[in-house]
Amino acid sequence: MSDQRPKQNTPAPFSPEDMARRRRRSIALALVLAGLAIFFFVVTLVKTGPAILNRPL
Amino acid sequence: MIPPIAGASDFSEKWDPLFGPMFEAAGLTGPPPPFPRAPSRGVPEKGGPHAAKTPAPSGAVHKSTKTIGLMSAAFETRTESLTASTGEARDFFALLKPRVMSLVIVTALTGMATAPGTVHPVLALAALLAIAVGAGASGCLNMWYDADIDALMSRTAKRPIPSGRILPSEALAFGLTLSVGSVLVLGLIANVLAAAMLAFTIFFYAVVYSMWLKRWTPQNIVIGGAAGAFPPMIGEAVVTGNLGWHSLVLFAIIFLWTPPHFWALALVKSGDYARAGIPMMPNVAGPAATRRQIVLYSLVMAPVAVLPALMGFGGMLYLAVSVSTGLVMIALSIQVWLRTEGAAATKACWSLFGFSIIYLFLLFAVLLVENGFGLMWALPKVLG
Repeated sequence: MSDQRPKQNTPAPFSPEDMARRRRRSIALALVLAGLAIFFFVVTLVKTGPAILNRPL
Repeated sequence: MIPPIAGASDFSEKWDPLFGPMFEAAGLTGPPPPFPRAPSRGVPEKGGPHAAKTPAPSGAVHKSTKTIGLMSAAFETRTESLTASTGEARDFFALLKPRVMSLVIVTALTGMATAPGTVHPVLALAALLAIAVGAGASGCLNMWYDADIDALMSRTAKRPIPSGRILPSEALAFGLTLSVGSVLVLGLIANVLAAAMLAFTIFFYAVVYSMWLKRWTPQNIVIGGAAGAFPPMIGEAVVTGNLGWHSLVLFAIIFLWTPPHFWALALVKSGDYARAGIPMMPNVAGPAATRRQIVLYSLVMAPVAVLPALMGFGGMLYLAVSVSTGLVMIALSIQVWLRTEGAAATKACWSLFGFSIIYLFLLFAVLLVENGFGLMWALPKVLG
């Protein structure tokens, strides 16, 4: 029995070179996000002052 | 006039109903006339409000119109056929206009250094990063909106969107995300005034300049130059939470510097701007009037650039640099005025354009060194 479903208009698959580019982009984005986390941590420390570390356990 | 290209998305049609009433309420001349929109994908109509005073040779308009139609269609087809881009991190970084961003960093940092007050170095660095990202975001939104005309000009055709490396929708999302993020971060680490000024700067560059002034009036870069002049004021607002005379003078220097800088480029690239339908001063008022105005702006700008020394926040080194380089700027402007033909004229324009970048960078770098590193206090002051 033949498949009567309409064909999906799928995009052309990426070439290996395109995949490598997208992988490099993903790595760069991960590094930026990690940098942002460090950035917010340091800025919070500076804004709040060293007393933020002096809290009762 | 070429017919509109099928599938071309003209965002101005969406924006005009929103901003038109706002401009009218503000006593301005209302939404832009039809000129800026239609020619953005072709050449200005013959006899239109901004038709060039120097007519193109016979046949040139027809030929260029056909070429533009093909180029624009190629751009539209290229971007519409893409479902996901293969742009790398460097392409996204290019969307932020890194060279403009570096100038923003220098000028904003100088605004911080000359402000009467102090700020924690880490917070200053963080605020500077937010200002730079905000400026980059506005550049990104500018590239998103101008992708159609960028594809027509040799200087901008290789940008990430017209070359097809990044999708317009990606650039829009990237620009909007960075805009909102940078303003929020600056508000959290500095103050509301600095964040509001950054938000206004982004709005002014991306909407007022890119979407409205650029394709409408030959005064586009004069008024739009304010966007590039705001960073020192944002820098002062970060430090003091207020605005003062120091940053206002720095604003004036950048504001007056912009016309000679851009018009020197526009004189050389007037063909590009004509093809894209951008009403730059040389295309509208003619090269001779542009050259006169370059000289006039330089004559006003050079004395204003000396003001920091006279007002006490620039030292002797700044006085010497601002006077000597100001004289060079005036001399190069006069050279542009006098040399109107051939290779000598082109060379004069490039000389002024190139030196104007060095000039502005030098002025702010010296102010930064004098104020930021205390050199001014080791050198004799001009007054007091």
